[in-house]
Amino acid sequence: MINVQDIRDTARDLLAKGEVRAVIGWRAGSRGMAAEPCVVTKPEEADSLVWDPTCYHNLALQLVNDRKDLVHSKKTATAPIGIVAKGCDARAIVVLLQEHYFKREDVYIIGVSCENSGVLDERKVKAQVGGFAPSAAAFDGDNFSVKTAKGDKKLAGREVMADRCLECRTPFPKENNTAFGDDKTGREFDAQFAALARFEANDEAARWEFWQRQFDRCIRCFACRSVCPMCFCDECVVDSIEMKIAPETTAEEKANRIRWIERSAVRSENATYHMTRALHLAGRCVDCGECERVCPVNIPLRLLNTKMEREAREAFGFDPGASIGGPSLVASFRDDDPGEFIR
Amino acid sequence: MSMEKTLDKALLSDWIAAVTSGGWQVHGPALEDGIWTFKPVAASVDLDYPNVKQAPKDFAFPQREIFFAFEHIKGEAPRLKEVKPEAPQCAVFGVRPCDGRGAVRMDKVFSDNVNDPYYQERRKNTAYVGLACNAPPSPTCFCKSVGGSPVSSEGMDILLTDLGEIYIAQAATKTGEALMAAADKLFGKMGAADKKQLDKVHADAVAAPQRAVKDAKGAPAALKAGFDSAVWEEMAKPCIGCGICTFLCPTCHCFDINDEMTGMSPLKGQRVRTWDNCQFPDFTMHTSGHNPRETLGTRLRQRVSHKFRYFHENFGMLQCTGCGRCVSECPVGIDIVAVVNKVAEHVA
Amino acid sequence: MSHSHAHANTYLPKLAKIVHIKEEIGGERAIKTYRLEFENGDGFDHEVGQCAMLSIFGRGESMISIASSPLTKEYKQFSIMRVGRVTKAFHELQVGDVVGIRGPYGNQFPLSAWKGKNLVVIGGGVGLAPVWPIVTTAVAKRADYKDITVFYGARSSKDIMYREDLERIRGQATVHLSVDRAEEGWKEFVGFVPANVLAKKPDPKNTVAIVCGPPIMIKFVIQNLQQLGFTDEQIYTTIENKMKCGVGKCGRCNVGKDYVCVNGPVYSWAQLKDLPQEY
Repeated sequence: MINVQDIRDTARDLLAKGEVRAVIGWRAGSRGMAAEPCVVTKPEEADSLVWDPTCYHNLALQLVNDRKDLVHSKKTATAPIGIVAKGCDARAIVVLLQEHYFKREDVYIIGVSCENSGVLDERKVKAQVGGFAPSAAAFDGDNFSVKTAKGDKKLAGREVMADRCLECRTPFPKENNTAFGDDKTGREFDAQFAALARFEANDEAARWEFWQRQFDRCIRCFACRSVCPMCFCDECVVDSIEMKIAPETTAEEKANRIRWIERSAVRSENATYHMTRALHLAGRCVDCGECERVCPVNIPLRLLNTKMEREAREAFGFDPGASIGGPSLVASFRDDDPGEFIR
Repeated sequence: MSMEKTLDKALLSDWIAAVTSGGWQVHGPALEDGIWTFKPVAASVDLDYPNVKQAPKDFAFPQREIFFAFEHIKGEAPRLKEVKPEAPQCAVFGVRPCDGRGAVRMDKVFSDNVNDPYYQERRKNTAYVGLACNAPPSPTCFCKSVGGSPVSSEGMDILLTDLGEIYIAQAATKTGEALMAAADKLFGKMGAADKKQLDKVHADAVAAPQRAVKDAKGAPAALKAGFDSAVWEEMAKPCIGCGICTFLCPTCHCFDINDEMTGMSPLKGQRVRTWDNCQFPDFTMHTSGHNPRETLGTRLRQRVSHKFRYFHENFGMLQCTGCGRCVSECPVGIDIVAVVNKVAEHVA
Repeated sequence: MSHSHAHANTYLPKLAKIVHIKEEIGGERAIKTYRLEFENGDGFDHEVGQCAMLSIFGRGESMISIASSPLTKEYKQFSIMRVGRVTKAFHELQVGDVVGIRGPYGNQFPLSAWKGKNLVVIGGGVGLAPVWPIVTTAVAKRADYKDITVFYGARSSKDIMYREDLERIRGQATVHLSVDRAEEGWKEFVGFVPANVLAKKPDPKNTVAIVCGPPIMIKFVIQNLQQLGFTDEQIYTTIENKMKCGVGKCGRCNVGKDYVCVNGPVYSWAQLKDLPQEY
């Protein structure tokens, strides 16, 4: 078990010595049981940091946003930025480094191991209590005690742990400047790609029926994209809400911008959006599961992304987020790559 | 209230059948794919549920509305064909008081200045059969502090209150009375004991503690005074700029209008309204690229100020009804209650 | 706002034919002036300062100031700069083409309240169009107003819009033109519009000043007017924001409690100071 005070002391120390300009971490949320991302800039604020199974968020996103802020404000960083990172957060940072989004020395990674735990899936909790939201949850290392409008309940950790954590093999952030907790790399709570395998046991007609229902429900709030550290593009190819226009952008450039999908949240447009996004994440998605967690209409987006991940693994032996040094999936080529057509 | 009656819970399905045969499409809460949604009701409905994930604003303001179809043959004048909304009569059972109050606010927006013909047509065909919240509030509920109540009938045609074996049905409009009258025999007279129990259940519901916007009456002035406060950017720091808060909100009404093509030769298409969101970066961006609300902080300020200040300046009521959806569903925990309280603290 | 058809579908455009196109200014940000005549006996009246939503079907809509006087009933005039998707499409149209139009939208310049006053109308670039109906209406009702003064500036003499119209009103109004940089044969002011205003010193007594143009020009013109003794209540301008519905519902142009498409675009400087600077 990690002592949260160690994380706080490290953050305080780094800030006090000026070794980092800020530390991205989690603090207690104001709305109930879940933690929320925060950016600590003063040593005395370090004690607000928390570490528990409600630290769902992939904080690598906050690194991306920090980078965008710097570029936008034309400022240069005075010191690296610190970040508390779980195994999946660290894998996302590795992909960003691999893609040269920032430099390794720009980031100070305070690794935290999930050890034999993971993050809570609020949906699983709600499913156990008739859809009612829990108001508080305490974790004793094995079990959660939750309070709800329908009474209090004790739930086994594994039963309400997120699927992504059950399938996770790398709960320890291998890429770190300092790390806390035991390295449990290789742990197996559930088979890898277990959720995908369960889904793929259905026949094609059932799968298509399933996806139609999911895509029909999408409200195109774009939370899946907005929460994804890999969706850092300044301008997204599939919609108009991320359009960069400068004073010198010509009328032609604006007029000729192709609308690949319409704004209407209808099946065809929604499906195109999600499938395009999944393809753009192939070999980049580290399965942090954030897209699935934040979806307000419960679209199981991990099924799309882990499908791509498994393809990358099986066809090319590629493991996103494993190492900074290697090339990215789409930028690499081997003589023995499958697929005759490409050679 | 003019008509107050009892309904044996076992007779709810009979009432729904009567309403249905009166030409109404009945909708009720259903748990599908893990989320509560209003769905057409075939037989009966389970009203023991927290609240729907998405506010039921789409009955009058669907996410997509076609205004007209156009066709333009080269060398001829374009031809337009107005599309009128197909708006069947919908009776929505189980609407929570925060969402009923949401409908009142949407009505203001879509009838102020110019009537919105699409909204009006759908709205007049929609009846809300509300359901008082007499279970303990969800951890993110805060209706009481913004002028509402867990037993409010504002915006409802009927308010149902669950008394265990029976519902008390209180009609709040002529439509509500008609919906009850359609199955008059099913309802019983509300006796003195029922009335006493109703009052107690309502009083208990109102007494149940909730989170609170500390000084909602003072919020418009506080937000005005705190307009330039540095706390906006600070609080918006983790914001990912998605559309969850506004799309789930019972009172967010912003929209976009676009031409969607259905054919190129001849040129054919439809002009379509879709929900839009003030948190998206391009929402206010001018054609020149100039963006009056370029940062996350200015966009958070817009959302919160609209709910707690601008709407109040225009209509004399807060726009936020305290349903808590934007709070519970925000991927990064941005909490409108905490935001309003914090800005108020900073200007105090 | 007056609405002739209370129950009409506000989102459904009327059709109008382009009967005249004048190329005002060339280049990347070209400006053309269009005269539109309603088809099918349709139409609407407007007030000075109001806008209309123009449609090119398949491309979309743009909110454009009505640049003709309400006294002109046979057509409505719009001067459109080529900056985006819809305006680019407009620039590709020919006389005889039919477009969509709905409106009128927005508030108006309080022209009748200005009777008996001096009017100083100050425009820059395409910003002359929204204030032009003030000039043409006041000139048409010349006896209602005292001195009418028009300041207009452009980058060069080639960039001056409404050139012939400006020449035509001389005699009934004082016209002060300016170009940003000196050029051969230019006899009028050289420099920016704010400097021209300061040089000509319009008298604030019984006067209203109306300014429209690039934001930076508006800012300095207002500073200079204040220096000349104009009060905030004597200075008017227009603001613009992205618009979609035109009827105060879609939320795009929302600034503070106002919807620019309904409560604007016309504001006195005194009113504007109360509005958040989100435009």
